[in-house]
Amino acid sequence: MSAALLEDALVAAAPGPPRTRRRAHGHRLLGLLVPLLLLGAWYVVSSQELLSTRLLPSPGTVATALGDFFAGDSTTTLAGVVPFTGAGFEHLGASLYRCGVSWLLAVAVGTVVGLLLGLSQLARDLLDPLLNALRAVPLFAWLPLALIWFGLGEGAARAIIFVGALWPVLVAVSDAVGRVPTAHVETARMLGTPRRWLWRRVYLPSALPEVVTGLRLSLTLAWTCVIVGELSGTDRGVGAMMSAARETGRTEQVVVGIVVFATVGLVADLLLRAATARWVRWSRA
Amino acid sequence: MVAGVTGVLEASGLTKAFGELLVLDGVDLQARAGQVLSVLGPSGCGKSTLLRVLAGFEEPTSGAVLLDGVRLTGPSPDRGMVAQAGGLFPWLTLRDNLAFGPVASRRSPAQVAAVVDELLTATGLDGFADALPKQLSGGMRQRASIAQVLANRPPVLLLDEPFGALDAQTRLRMHEWLRALLAERPTTVLLVTHDVEEALLLGDRLCLLSGRPAKIVEELPVPFGVHRGRGVLADPDFVRLKAAVLERVLAA
Repeated sequence: MSAALLEDALVAAAPGPPRTRRRAHGHRLLGLLVPLLLLGAWYVVSSQELLSTRLLPSPGTVATALGDFFAGDSTTTLAGVVPFTGAGFEHLGASLYRCGVSWLLAVAVGTVVGLLLGLSQLARDLLDPLLNALRAVPLFAWLPLALIWFGLGEGAARAIIFVGALWPVLVAVSDAVGRVPTAHVETARMLGTPRRWLWRRVYLPSALPEVVTGLRLSLTLAWTCVIVGELSGTDRGVGAMMSAARETGRTEQVVVGIVVFATVGLVADLLLRAATARWVRWSRA
Repeated sequence: MVAGVTGVLEASGLTKAFGELLVLDGVDLQARAGQVLSVLGPSGCGKSTLLRVLAGFEEPTSGAVLLDGVRLTGPSPDRGMVAQAGGLFPWLTLRDNLAFGPVASRRSPAQVAAVVDELLTATGLDGFADALPKQLSGGMRQRASIAQVLANRPPVLLLDEPFGALDAQTRLRMHEWLRALLAERPTTVLLVTHDVEEALLLGDRLCLLSGRPAKIVEELPVPFGVHRGRGVLADPDFVRLKAAVLERVLAA
């Protein structure tokens, strides 16, 4: 390969100029293409009856079930059986509330412990090994203990969501706070900031962009953990509905649950990004 | 000395060692109230360490820093320091950066706003109050960094190569701007630099440091008027003095 060719290859491999807003919008539209193609493939597979409807219900069946879930007539069922029709908002509300409460608690605890770890060498020496070991415990390994401690239902579900959501916040805050440039801290001290206000005036704002990334990861994980928590036997919630649907062989209702989880997860992340956009504006190129 | 102005900054027998490494070896100097003292030394001689000790970021191994005869420990709004990279907080707008010091010293919102508005005008950055530091040019950022420190009205200003990262023309403009600014608000300034021209343009007096470990090898007055501008660069006396001082820095 000649030197000129090599240079061309290197230029081609180098990252291009920063993407403009317009291109970002174009990418977002492209992001719809693959889901639409998959939907088409799904339609073809089910209309040709290549798979049994028990394994893969048709898009139409799922759409009808989705409509029934949110807008159908609420039917009374036997005690202990989770209603499906018309109960969508009740299930979704229960899941959202459960997730929100646990996530907010995880954010509060993660931020405080993360700040402590980031600011104090003593706290790091005391807690780092323990926290790193606990962090390595798979989420499902906490489930039996949560069930023993809190019993089947709400308490165990919240505990599982809390544990899942805690680590990303804790690690992001302690990491980011530990990496705040000394120069910022010195400038703030020189300008007269009392030590006890440094965390509020320097450490936290400087760490915010990374913390926001932690918050996003944490929220997604919390939402993922909702299903794990709800499998522990809550009577309301999207996960509980799916569990009941599986037991009664209603695959289309299981798929409705998946669609609801995916949509809410996406929307929650978009909302969180919008809400925190002004905290991270300064760090974006 | 200008009547009523305080802010005599003294270093007496300052020694600083990092482990075995002796960086400052008994530095004695005095910055007179309301004057600019340029401290000139070869690269790597410990100029920045000297300034960090004076600012209170580093404890001297021995010796003392005195402000108006009172011994100092730790950083304080009385000694504003501006480093080469500037001190602006990247997450705050220019207005909030200028307000940082006054807010930290619990001034009333009205007082803070008045100080900030005045400094925005003095720095010629009126139109950029809501800009983030990354949206400003290098020269604007350094003017803002100096203004951020001046917002506390410190009697002493410590400058660590504040214009070192700027191009030659911007630097010359900054020198004239700083002279005009200081003429309006008498402040004792200690300017650390390796640039002979900058030391002579801004300083009322000049201290020469030796190579590491640093000590003062010579102190001389700078015999040009308070209102010197870039015109003085062509003054034969200035050219001669600059050459002589450069000779000594290189020999130090």
